[in-house]
Amino acid sequence: MIYNKLILLLILFLTGCYQNETMQKKDYIFGTIVEVTIYGETEEKSTHAIELVFNEFRRLHHYLHPWEKSIIQEINQSIKNQEIYTTQDTEILTIIKHNQELELKTHGYFNPAIGNLIKAWGFHADQFSEDRPNSILIESLRRNLPHMSEINIYNGYLESKNENIKLDLGGYSKGYALDRAKKILAENNINNALINIGGNILALGLHGDRNWIVGIQHPRKPNSIASISLKPGWSIGTSGDYQRYFIVDNQRYSHLIDPNTGYPANNSQSATILLPPIESSGTLSDVYSKPLFIASEKLKYKIAKELGVDFYMIVMADGKISISRSMLNLIKWHEKIDKKNITVH
Amino acid sequence: MIKKISQFIRKIQIGDLLTIFVFIVLTGYLSSILWNFPQGEYLKIQMGAQDIGSFSLNQNSTKIIEGPIGKTEVIINSGKVRISKSPCTKKYCIHQGWINQLNQTIVCVPNQISVSIIGNQSDYDSLNY
Repeated sequence: MIYNKLILLLILFLTGCYQNETMQKKDYIFGTIVEVTIYGETEEKSTHAIELVFNEFRRLHHYLHPWEKSIIQEINQSIKNQEIYTTQDTEILTIIKHNQELELKTHGYFNPAIGNLIKAWGFHADQFSEDRPNSILIESLRRNLPHMSEINIYNGYLESKNENIKLDLGGYSKGYALDRAKKILAENNINNALINIGGNILALGLHGDRNWIVGIQHPRKPNSIASISLKPGWSIGTSGDYQRYFIVDNQRYSHLIDPNTGYPANNSQSATILLPPIESSGTLSDVYSKPLFIASEKLKYKIAKELGVDFYMIVMADGKISISRSMLNLIKWHEKIDKKNITVH
Repeated sequence: MIKKISQFIRKIQIGDLLTIFVFIVLTGYLSSILWNFPQGEYLKIQMGAQDIGSFSLNQNSTKIIEGPIGKTEVIINSGKVRISKSPCTKKYCIHQGWINQLNQTIVCVPNQISVSIIGNQSDYDSLNY
């Protein structure tokens, strides 16, 4: 009897400790929810570091915003007016160069120059309209599809001959922000943290004596489909058709537009990738999930291999799951998955 | 033995019966509402960065939260939660329906409101979506 009481007392103390071990703050930036969790630091140190990270997120949100006043909007205006854009800001030139490389690496499935197409689909608004755009407009935008390689970057200025270029770094900025947050936390001697920007997550260090664990949202249900344990430095990113989309005549139109057709990609519900701690892995976890979502089923696995993405899970349009062997070994299902509905690559 | 029991029963008075009756009804009622809910599970509502509050899931009530574009109505119905009214245009949050499990979340992005079921033990630290 006395033992029972002791155990009860011990459990009470354990839960008490647990709550003090992590500190979590959320905010609303990048048009989505951002969340930073820090493990095993004093409240003062954690609060300070999180504030620095959130300030950086707010800076980047305004700096890279696709349709509000930002440096991107200034560059787009210059290109549209066929003017040279001069700047001493090396950060933006580096970012644009990186986007050029990424378009090439992803065979154009990630193309941040197609702002006009995204705008035509109505996704350039916090509250987007529910209309299908004019098919003639889409066809003409697709035929004159601009590419990042048509931007010429020099020391201190950039220009482009193609006035159809309209930069939209919506698929890059949140991943870039993950890498920035990683750097800021390291500079402030925070070794154990979990950063979540609108579902894209980067893990630093550990949660005590275990890895950080993240749930993966089911694309059609309110619960998680699985969870995964992120080793120190690993990141996870998902492209899905269930966050920004509209439905007309029972047809779902998501914000993930296939540059080849000009229409929202519709062969998948979600594509999730996991990346080890390589250079710019936060950015890449955001960017590389896109070709895996958009490309045709045959090409998805070929592109994953080319990009060096070993860990992926794709929920196809019919709800069936395509998963890589390495991912299958790591994943912990939260619901029973019928073996018939799963293909291992 | 039987004699003793019959003596005992004869000693029972109306007050005793009432006490026993109230005890049984109360036990039945409390176990029916408490049994299914692991302790420490509650509802957490946030608006932007701000914590609106944490509420017990074990109640029937309606909460109104004022967000940047208007009022969102959250219904708690013994163990499950849903958003019932929202000023947003898409109403995804309403279509999501009831949630009742640990770590399930409904987010209304336009009104910056998130409603999550939280517990002491969690399956994971954060959600990828």
